Amino acid sequence: MNAMNFNFLCGDPPPASARSVGIIGAGPSGLAAAGYLSCLGYLVEVYDKLPKAGGLMLFGIPGHRIPKERVEAGVRRMARKYGVVFHPRTKICCSAPLHDEEGDHFCSDVRGLGDLVKKHDAIIICTGSWRSRRLGIPGENLPGVMAGLEFLFPIRAAGYAGPGIKAPDVAGKTVAVIGAGHSAVDVVHSALFLGAAKVHLLYRRTRHEAPCGSYEIDRLEAAGAAWHESVTPLRFTGEDRVTGVEIREKTLGEPGPDGKRCALPDSEHVTVIEADLVVTAIGETATPPFAKELGLENVRKGEVRWLHMTDIENLFVAGDALTGPSKIGKAVYSGLRAARSLANWLDLKDQDRLADYPYDDLVAREADRFPGGRLHR
Amino acid sequence: MPHKQKVLYIDYSTCIGCETCEYVCRFVHDTPRIHMMRTASGVMAPLYCRHCENPNCAKVCKRGAIVRDKSGAMILQPQLCRGCETRQCLLACPYAAMFETDTGVMLSKCDLCAGRRQIGLSPACAEMCPCGAIHFIAREDIAKIETDKSREAFERVMGHLRPGKGKEE
Repeated sequence: MNAMNFNFLCGDPPPASARSVGIIGAGPSGLAAAGYLSCLGYLVEVYDKLPKAGGLMLFGIPGHRIPKERVEAGVRRMARKYGVVFHPRTKICCSAPLHDEEGDHFCSDVRGLGDLVKKHDAIIICTGSWRSRRLGIPGENLPGVMAGLEFLFPIRAAGYAGPGIKAPDVAGKTVAVIGAGHSAVDVVHSALFLGAAKVHLLYRRTRHEAPCGSYEIDRLEAAGAAWHESVTPLRFTGEDRVTGVEIREKTLGEPGPDGKRCALPDSEHVTVIEADLVVTAIGETATPPFAKELGLENVRKGEVRWLHMTDIENLFVAGDALTGPSKIGKAVYSGLRAARSLANWLDLKDQDRLADYPYDDLVAREADRFPGGRLHR
Repeated sequence: MPHKQKVLYIDYSTCIGCETCEYVCRFVHDTPRIHMMRTASGVMAPLYCRHCENPNCAKVCKRGAIVRDKSGAMILQPQLCRGCETRQCLLACPYAAMFETDTGVMLSKCDLCAGRRQIGLSPACAEMCPCGAIHFIAREDIAKIETDKSREAFERVMGHLRPGKGKEE
């Protein structure tokens, strides 16, 4: 398996430059940015809370979809040939108390953002989206109710982290999965693979609206999962442990003039789906450190002086940390653009020519090149 | 034509639709020349140029704006292309790999990263695909890496591109 080539923009490494850049987060956007900057000869140091670089490409998405060897080889190449320094198990503090997010328990080192800002010429924050969304219905804190990432993460992490981490024990059990995105699909496949006796997949709309597409649903059904559509989870049942999900089922009528399908009268009724384990795979939210202090909302809207730059001058942000959950491609693109913006900024600053390029103008020009979205995200 | 002409081959059965190819292409070329398609049933597949041995796009172009370069890639020459309204090339491509844009001659097409190949690099999409689904490979070697699954996935994708063809109904 060939390496994923994060250094695809250059052949042999260029002569070393005196610049030092820190990248927080070794997921797709962080690694793409590291690849870009190491192709300029910068000394790049990458910090990540997990024991291995790769982010959700390694720890979230199942191995049958992304071969871990390919990501690992790309990281190794970047470290050996281009001198990128990786600091695994290092959390840069902190948007929330430690151990609040999936993967925090791997950290053996916690460093403040302030130290990094002083140490490097510039920083890019690529921390991604790690906090799981919650349904906000009763019983969600019962043992046996877990989020999609919480379920998927240990399956991949078990191989890296030693005896402390175990894949979820679902053998012979009934699992209910809520959601119909790609992570819900991955949870169902993984649960079936791990020997679950029965897997239910619950979705509030129909298979035609499912973000993963009806083809995936067909495949899940063929693999043995039970599909329930147009159901709304009301609460989780159980006393000291979850025993099921109470749902409202309905039958939808024909689409109305606005294209929406409403529930048929009297078709709604409440039932309970029994389950030993419930996984809510309804998406994640971004977890950037110091979102407010850095003015990330303005960066997101493109109301910035310099592309991807935060309120702190030498601090840039890219990937899902900025945009919220997206796809690997978008994260890579965002990382590459932040890296290019950072390098432009450092060059001009060194020549004392920042005033030559009015910031607003630069951002506007960029927006012109990508019509249909101010910063094309 | 050189003996071993390298082209792109994407194994649709290992592609997960993450769009890395499209966005890396966008970063390198500003306007992407590979495009992730999503069908009504949610099947994701990148549309890309095969640099065919008998290219329909070149055949139908009245201007001769699509020509083969010395390493075998089909290249669009924007100087000759007038971005004509007929959009013959766009319609003629069996793989839907010619893309209408809103800049220049309003057409973009893969040149297998011609500028990158000049300096010894490979097409960027193949380099960065997380799944290893994109191969930059000699045309005659494609058959060696095809699998039953990849052929089945290819047929599924083509069924969406050319509905009715290859089906009995």
